[in-house]
Amino acid sequence: MSREIQLFKLCKGTFGHVRNFHVATVTNAAAAAAEAKPSARLKTFSIYRWNPDEPDKKPYMQDYPVDLNACGPMVLDALIKIKNEVDPTLTFRRSCREGICGSCAMNIGGVNTLACISKIDTRLEKPTKIYPLPHMYVVKDLVPDMNNFYSQYKSIEPWLQRKDDGENKSGEVQQYLQSVEDRQKLDGLYECILCACCSTSCPSYWWNGDKYLGPAVLMQAYRWIIDSRDEATEKRLDKMRDPFSAFRCHTIMNCTRTCPKSLNPGKAIAEIKKLLGGVAKKPEPGLKTGALQN
Amino acid sequence: MLCLIESALLAGQKFGSQVLRNERSGLLAFVRPVTLKAKAAECPKEESHDERNMRLKRPQSPHLTIYSPQLTSMLSISHRITGIALSAYAIGLGLGAIVLPESIPHYIESLECAELGAACISTLKFVLAFPLTYHFWNGIRHLLWDSGLFLSIREVYLTGYIMLALALSSAVALSIM
Repeated sequence: MSREIQLFKLCKGTFGHVRNFHVATVTNAAAAAAEAKPSARLKTFSIYRWNPDEPDKKPYMQDYPVDLNACGPMVLDALIKIKNEVDPTLTFRRSCREGICGSCAMNIGGVNTLACISKIDTRLEKPTKIYPLPHMYVVKDLVPDMNNFYSQYKSIEPWLQRKDDGENKSGEVQQYLQSVEDRQKLDGLYECILCACCSTSCPSYWWNGDKYLGPAVLMQAYRWIIDSRDEATEKRLDKMRDPFSAFRCHTIMNCTRTCPKSLNPGKAIAEIKKLLGGVAKKPEPGLKTGALQN
Repeated sequence: MLCLIESALLAGQKFGSQVLRNERSGLLAFVRPVTLKAKAAECPKEESHDERNMRLKRPQSPHLTIYSPQLTSMLSISHRITGIALSAYAIGLGLGAIVLPESIPHYIESLECAELGAACISTLKFVLAFPLTYHFWNGIRHLLWDSGLFLSIREVYLTGYIMLALALSSAVALSIM
């Protein structure tokens, strides 16, 4: 019995503690809100709207004033605030809110970026314009149809391709070896989150999106081409030997300029062009990749 | 369904149920025989990405008109425009040489004699020279890019400004000459 009482005392203390914490934060937030209330910093967000239920109604821009004092620092915070408090019909994709999922890619202030990691421009006199990713079919409001982009990604077969099955003589699956230098070649390529900011910023992709693969997909193609463990290099390159797949890139470099992850798709495409043109050759692996399989 | 009827009949025989035996008033009157017919599977209609979206009347999101003008795209489009201007000059002057009654140097001489003033002549020369110098220097920038150099965004901007300075100064130099 004494044990139970002891446990009860312990629990009681804990709960009390938690409640105190809770009350403290609430009062802090309330105090902050009361302090800031006199000067509401109203910022206008002008957002592209189109509703598939009224397909014949033209897309239009809708203005939403948001008090920046009562809003988080990022554009996604403002969008969520508008959806929660003003207009629940506003539609956009979002998930991780920390720039790793790529869902909230959109055109903010004329540049493609992720809403979750782009700060709200605090100049109140200038409205922030938000459009869906450029030159894409719109499913609703800020949601574009990404099917073409994904099927292009599928077409480059983004997985490791080997002639062996990874097993050694006694049938155990072994890892493939890769030297430190060879692994470093993948840095700046594998981090891509496929948000499509770069592809949809590229004028070449706007005009030839059906046949030109676009910067994001080409950079992933290069990621597998240059991987020392991959043995399908020639097959991968042969697939791109046409005037459109890779060579529609005119080195405009909007892709690299806009990449929210600060990657360099333009450079990767230049390397692909060098490989396709025979100016460069994929170097031999620094380590025998299949050494453990023999 | 056939199976069901069969088993019902079997059950009827086994237990000698009056209800089932009497076909007119029994349970069987409620059972409707159904015929199942084999039919070739329908192929899902092959619809391209564009066709599907157009059928759904989805609009295309705005692009050229809303994308912010940046040095990257602006230098690229002016490379094209200067290229077009150069070919227009070449074709125009070439056709002129064929069609016009006098040779081109004759017209250049008459321009010089017309006393348009140095400023006017220099401007004309600049208009002729700038597309050439721009396309030349930016062409070199493109060649460097194609060999995999200067492709970080910092270098793209740096080479862009250098190229602009070179193109402008060499065009000015040519138009003063």
